Amino acid sequence: MQRPADASRRAWPKKPPPTPFAVGGLIGLVVFSLVTSWDWILGIGFNPLALPGEFRDSNPAMVEGLYNVTDAAWRESYVDRLRGAFTDPDSPWVLSLDSRIGRGLVETVQIAVLATIVGSALALPMSIYNTRLGAASSTRLAISKALNNTIRSIPDVIWAVLFVVLVSTGALAGVLALTMFTIAVVVKLTSDIIDGIDMGPVEAARAAGASHAAAMRTAVVPQILPGYASFSLYAFELNLRGAAVLGFVGAGGIGQAMDFYWSRLDFEGVSVVVFVFLVLVIVVERASIAVRKRLV
Amino acid sequence: MTRTETPAEERLREQLRPEKPFARFRWTVTILLAAAFAWSALTIDARWDRLAQIPERTWNFLGLLIQDASLGPLVIALEAMWESVAIAWVATLIGVVISFPLIFLASVNVANRWVVLVVRQVLNLFRAIPEIVLAIAFIPFFGLNPVTAAVAMGVSSIGTLGKLSAEIVEGIDRGPMEAVAASGGGWLAKLRWGVLPQAMPEIAAFWLYRFEINIRVSAVLGVLGIGGIGTFLTQAAQRNYYDRIGLGLLVVIVVTMLIDGASARLRRRIINGPPGELDQKREAAARVQISGDET
Repeated sequence: MQRPADASRRAWPKKPPPTPFAVGGLIGLVVFSLVTSWDWILGIGFNPLALPGEFRDSNPAMVEGLYNVTDAAWRESYVDRLRGAFTDPDSPWVLSLDSRIGRGLVETVQIAVLATIVGSALALPMSIYNTRLGAASSTRLAISKALNNTIRSIPDVIWAVLFVVLVSTGALAGVLALTMFTIAVVVKLTSDIIDGIDMGPVEAARAAGASHAAAMRTAVVPQILPGYASFSLYAFELNLRGAAVLGFVGAGGIGQAMDFYWSRLDFEGVSVVVFVFLVLVIVVERASIAVRKRLV
Repeated sequence: MTRTETPAEERLREQLRPEKPFARFRWTVTILLAAAFAWSALTIDARWDRLAQIPERTWNFLGLLIQDASLGPLVIALEAMWESVAIAWVATLIGVVISFPLIFLASVNVANRWVVLVVRQVLNLFRAIPEIVLAIAFIPFFGLNPVTAAVAMGVSSIGTLGKLSAEIVEGIDRGPMEAVAASGGGWLAKLRWGVLPQAMPEIAAFWLYRFEINIRVSAVLGVLGIGGIGTFLTQAAQRNYYDRIGLGLLVVIVVTMLIDGASARLRRRIINGPPGELDQKREAAARVQISGDET
């Protein structure tokens, strides 16, 4: 049976028009995307349809150096170099890290370990201070927020450039740069969870006459410790990845080996370093994720 | 003042304040961390004595920055920063467009369990590879230019965007999906009317957040010489152009903070809806409650 037209209209309410925010957002999205991707002064010239063409017009010397897996001679020399990076005929040990790649790998781990430990240690008090609860005054909170936002807005490689200027090239600049980066990451994540803690223990500590510092240590720190430890481990993963970039600006680590082969146009060497680094990153990430799952 | 405790008092004290148990886990972690720290600090080839020079060198550096300060390079610094922002935006777009269909194939409450397992592993692989490795891998094909950076970061963004958006989809309420199924909707209808309206605000907010992260990453990839503020600053530092270093740093800090601030406000607006609407909804709900009581 056919229903009367006005009855169905009543059953199906009119769809509300999109809000000005949605319309403006959509227009802004499209305009900004076109401006940034177009091939002109304000864009980078990204054309998804032309990408396959560029893919074919690749640089054959580089492709052959980086991954010429189908060539048997290339495979053989690749494996030789890989073996050469971790063995030394003069050394009594099976494994020797006294090669450009081996030393770079060890230095990368050392930089990441030092930066993570020092940075996380500094980040704990800083993140407590970065909340309304810990700062205990709106002026001090504003100062702390401004400081942390500044630290956070500088990318790790820019820190590395700065510290290379201040302490000259070497691993020390890398350690300092990643320490600042660790502080940025851990303070941001940890101060977010401090805002959500249970206030009961804090009130109990204050009622028992604890000083501000004692209240923070006994009532806040135990509550945030699992999260904080997990964030620090996460920062370690990020630091290990970040340490590859440091070498390009002279701040130590495996990036130095990458930069060395890169500047000599030895793409096979670059490929070996990148492969070794990738294995290290993936192994550490798997381990770190397993530990973090247990922590939280 | 002091007097000896009676045995009863001692028992009471022990009951009130039990002895701290020996925390084996805590000790193991502390010792391991101390050992790792000591090994790294002692064997690393870092000249620790240079730490003492930092105050003096900072003072000199600041002096040079102020002495050479000029607004001359402002335009090229801003151009370089804009290029970084453009790279980050295009990379986010690539990540969004490719990860969007994958989100639903990676959520257990929407897709088949085996499909989810495979897609999740692919996303994890994209996430695990550092951006700089991807950039080096793409340079032979696209050359030393911003497009390479955008593609490398885009591929890397697919992993994080896909995984975290899938977690959002897995956290939604099943009710609307079941309602669509009950009224005869297919798989796509279920996604469109049952999943998207719930998950979309958070997913869109996460896209914006990824854009903020990508701005920093694009500065980092600049060290390879593929453009943006990273290339600008590393070259300025290599040549001791202090006017460019100072201005470049200022531009990075100010522009990053401005974009972070704007993006954070947009994200809040997307997730919370228009200002005041929440209160209106609560009021309306309260009114319904009252009128319901009356009847």
